[in-house]
Amino acid sequence: MWNRRKNLLLSSLSLLRHISSSPHLPRLHPLKPSHLLCPSNSFLPPIDSQLRNNLLDLPRCGFPRNLSSSNSCSSCWNCGAVGPTSGAFLACGSCGAVQPVDASVDYFQIFGMKKMYEIEEGDLEGIYKDWQKKLHPDLVHSKSEKEKGFAAEQSARVIDAYRTLKNPLSRALYLLKLEQIHVDEEKTVSDPDLLMEMLEMREAVEEAKDTQSLKEIQSKVKKKLDSWSNSFKEAFNKQDFDSAVNCTQRMKYYERALEEITKKL
Amino acid sequence: MLRLALKRSLRLGPAVSDTPSAAMVASRGYHERVVDHYNNPRNVGSFDKEDPNVGTGLVGAPACGDVMKLQIKVDEDSGKIVDACFKTFGCGSAIASSSVATEWVKGKQMEEVLTIKNTEIAKHLSLPPVKLHCSMLAEDAIKAAVKDYELKKAKAAPKQE
Repeated sequence: MWNRRKNLLLSSLSLLRHISSSPHLPRLHPLKPSHLLCPSNSFLPPIDSQLRNNLLDLPRCGFPRNLSSSNSCSSCWNCGAVGPTSGAFLACGSCGAVQPVDASVDYFQIFGMKKMYEIEEGDLEGIYKDWQKKLHPDLVHSKSEKEKGFAAEQSARVIDAYRTLKNPLSRALYLLKLEQIHVDEEKTVSDPDLLMEMLEMREAVEEAKDTQSLKEIQSKVKKKLDSWSNSFKEAFNKQDFDSAVNCTQRMKYYERALEEITKKL
Repeated sequence: MLRLALKRSLRLGPAVSDTPSAAMVASRGYHERVVDHYNNPRNVGSFDKEDPNVGTGLVGAPACGDVMKLQIKVDEDSGKIVDACFKTFGCGSAIASSSVATEWVKGKQMEEVLTIKNTEIAKHLSLPPVKLHCSMLAEDAIKAAVKDYELKKAKAAPKQE
């Protein structure tokens, strides 16, 4: 009975539409037919275990991975267990198998955080390590080539997510990207106040003679970075994206200055 | 000391060192002209901003946090640019682009330098696509410097009457 349910879940969804009224069908998760992509539209014959394994190896791109925040239709390629209804389905809770990368899952979902600028940065590391315990390629060396491949990709994606979310500027830019705000990187800015300030700041860093003066400059710059970081948060929450972009530009300049200071220290 | 300052502001490859330029070219792929401008910087410096014959162009590239200042000294009778200098905080390509810009504007009329295109600078330095915005920055800096000088002149003129 469980096998049949799994098979039907994996197989053509047009099949479901045809026989949805059938009393023999087990209850399935509510799926919106209009969103579904059907890999095939033929009725399947009674399935034997060989065919079932082949089905399990089918590429999953035909599946409705692009349903917004719900993963209710994802199931494990290995054991068929259904993935979580919310949150990222990176590794199966039942059998531990690493799942293929689903690009529609964003970094915030991977860390189980709300999609906003102010996050608990302290929580990031713990969640990151938990994921790596399940996904890291070194831990799956006894598994199949396919799963090793998934592990390598998932693990890399989690690392990217961690780095992006940890740094305030990259988090800000990522949020803007998710909102489809395109920042024109080629455009030059000529705001004289900002540039004069940055020029003087960089000159001060260059000319600083000792660690003490460098550290003083460093703390000043950090304060400015924090204040602009707050401005970004406010602008973003108000959906004032122009101001938000402006804030990220300033933050970038301060970060560059901090990098130079770090190099000198 | 200026060279040291320049070197510190460059982010050229895995390590900034005093090794000959050939090694840098081999390891990082910078064109020899870019490396030349890095090793032998021309026209680094500052003019007095308040000088009525000086135009200052200050531009920045937000994507990489670069800042570029380009200054021109203009002969007010002939309208010719007699001297130029620059100060750039950014990558090797940005520094080389602004250095080339200062070389090219010297001895030219102001209207003429407005026609200098970033593509020419990029071609001269064989800049890769990812560094094209550096040459754009240099072109904008030239224009900003000219604009600043003309603004100054316009402000000064009514006072003389």
